[in-house]
Amino acid sequence: MLAYSSSSYSEEVFGSTQNAASPGLTWVMTNILPQFAGLEVNGLVYQYTTVKDPDSDMIVYVQNENAQSDGYIFRNADDWSGLPGNTINKSFALPNTLGEMWGNGSIEIAGEGSVIDPSVIYTYKYDPCFDPQSDPSCPGYEEIVEVPEIPFSDPLEDQLVLDELNRQAKIDQEAEEEDRRRRQKESKIKDALENLLGDGSNPELISADAERMAMALFSINLPVDYYNPLEGGEYVETVILDGGTIQDNKKARRANFAQQVLHQEMVDSQYGSGASAQQEK
Amino acid sequence: MLKPVIVLAGSLIATGAAAQTEIVGTVDSKCIIISETSGVYGNPSPNLLTTDPTNGGVKPIIRYDVISADYYKAKISYPITFSSAPSLDDVVNWEGGVTVSEVSDSLMSDYDTNKITYNNATEYDLTIAGSTWFTVASEADYGYAKSLPAGSYNAVVEAECIPL
Repeated sequence: MLAYSSSSYSEEVFGSTQNAASPGLTWVMTNILPQFAGLEVNGLVYQYTTVKDPDSDMIVYVQNENAQSDGYIFRNADDWSGLPGNTINKSFALPNTLGEMWGNGSIEIAGEGSVIDPSVIYTYKYDPCFDPQSDPSCPGYEEIVEVPEIPFSDPLEDQLVLDELNRQAKIDQEAEEEDRRRRQKESKIKDALENLLGDGSNPELISADAERMAMALFSINLPVDYYNPLEGGEYVETVILDGGTIQDNKKARRANFAQQVLHQEMVDSQYGSGASAQQEK
Repeated sequence: MLKPVIVLAGSLIATGAAAQTEIVGTVDSKCIIISETSGVYGNPSPNLLTTDPTNGGVKPIIRYDVISADYYKAKISYPITFSSAPSLDDVVNWEGGVTVSEVSDSLMSDYDTNKITYNNATEYDLTIAGSTWFTVASEADYGYAKSLPAGSYNAVVEAECIPL
């Protein structure tokens, strides 16, 4: 037989609380139960002493509110009516219930009498590996990947970036200035050329051929009205039929009929009546 | 017709057998007595031994666990002799008592009201299922203001669970 043991084996831890009722007859469970994930309450032991007249009525409730709904998750009543006071000691084995369901506890008295020396102790259990990541020895534990911490730096505060931005801004500014100067220069040239060409006192600026062509174009009389009448007439028939009559072309007629039939089939097929229509034909 | 009948009877006699089957049962007591706290005698004065806590003593506590109600009664007797002690040549006056000191059910609180006391014994009808704690007081007064001899003194409290 092979025996095997592992340090990663998880065992439940059992424990009990301090006396929840030591400060008084009410207590807050979050201050009583240890805050372990998955902790479950599985028992309760209480003890108190009643001080009362044996003839008086008195009921003592030991209880815990249900933290997740209305009512109580635990409530037990001791009826001391018509009985002399005494010390009561009770223990309860409870089904495992998540600790977070246990709301505030109290010892409540109905009737005449008082309670002294109260003691309420809860027993619990928990699995230290309820969260496998809580301990590297827990089964299912996964190594945590350490993410390097990268200090944040504003790129706009980086000197190299600032230098580059300044350089680029300077280049853009120079290019813009160059472009502005170029456009200004072109504008000056254009204005000067217009002034030069617009002045008729500089005939030597164009060649003799160009001047002749210009004179010819200016000499053409362009129509001044789009509604001038066109010259009309009649085109008479110049072809003469030799022989009298023209016979019908039967081949052409048959081909024309075949095309008509084919066209009709295509039209009928679109309306789903092609077969019937064909049969009718 | 008669003969076969006789033969048959003879055959029955010849093949007859007897058997016994045993029935075994065990009864566990439904009443358990547990000595929870041992008593201690305090010696506040030379002639006195007492379990009174104010005089340095400790009262013994006996717990009765009853699973079934109304089937048992508890009989507890405080000591009237030392089980072991130095040689005593005078009378020891014994006093004591039994009280219910703790209950697991409030209805048991009535046990003291209904207890029966005689001689050095106290009887309780165990009418409620659960645990009941009985505290026993014991006091030994030696002679007439006479000093007890030095030594170790032991006494025994008897607790019984008597089926009704």
